[in-house]
Amino acid sequence: MAKPKPRIRVPKSVEAGVPFTVRTRITHPMHTGLQRDRDGNPVARRIVNRFRVRYNGAEALSVDLEPAVSADPYIEFEMAVPESGLLEFEWVDDDGSVYSLRREIAVG
Amino acid sequence: MAPTRRDILRIGGAAAAAALFPAGAARASNGVSQAVAAFTGGAPVLEAGVRLEVPEIADNGGAVPVRVVAEGARRIALFTDGNPYPRVATFSFGPLVPPAAKIRIRLAKSQNVIAVAEMADGTFRKTSRAVAVTVGGCA
Repeated sequence: MAKPKPRIRVPKSVEAGVPFTVRTRITHPMHTGLQRDRDGNPVARRIVNRFRVRYNGAEALSVDLEPAVSADPYIEFEMAVPESGLLEFEWVDDDGSVYSLRREIAVG
Repeated sequence: MAPTRRDILRIGGAAAAAALFPAGAARASNGVSQAVAAFTGGAPVLEAGVRLEVPEIADNGGAVPVRVVAEGARRIALFTDGNPYPRVATFSFGPLVPPAAKIRIRLAKSQNVIAVAEMADGTFRKTSRAVAVTVGGCA
């Protein structure tokens, strides 16, 4: 399987305390463990089971995902920050891999 | 009058269908009530204060958009009552993120999506929505 590629969309600069939208997505097949391949062999479960967002080191959002989340998991939420800082995203795979992205947010 | 061959087939067919699909099997057959109880710790759950936006009809069960909002919640869990496994996703919100989120989920067939919120005061609230699925996603 191709290496999962995380993507996020977030504004570069925001106003203090004003909510903005964060869109996140990672390419991942999210194998449920119940599917079979073309030859009828069971496909082992492999999903992104955890998604975490931190702002300046403090936990902003954490999501536990189950096999019922669609392939290429898409999660969107709003957040509001009081000061400039570093927004960090982390996706945890069943196989132990961690995919991460970070963005600087400037409060103007 | 002796039963005709047609009668026997009809009765036999109905009996077979009843055996395969017992009444109410769509509800809780995947253990959704136990899964919700595991989230709430068995606490009472009020039917209020949670907004769940899902399409009434989903053409593609493989990616059904869901939006959930629960003002004052610190955690929100999504469940389904007709997928092989009842749990879908659990969100934990920090102080910078208002308790609302959008996610895309798999629905194997037409069924109910249930959102349960744990409020900041430790009480629980929920709501549910039925979704008709045209082509099931392999959930």
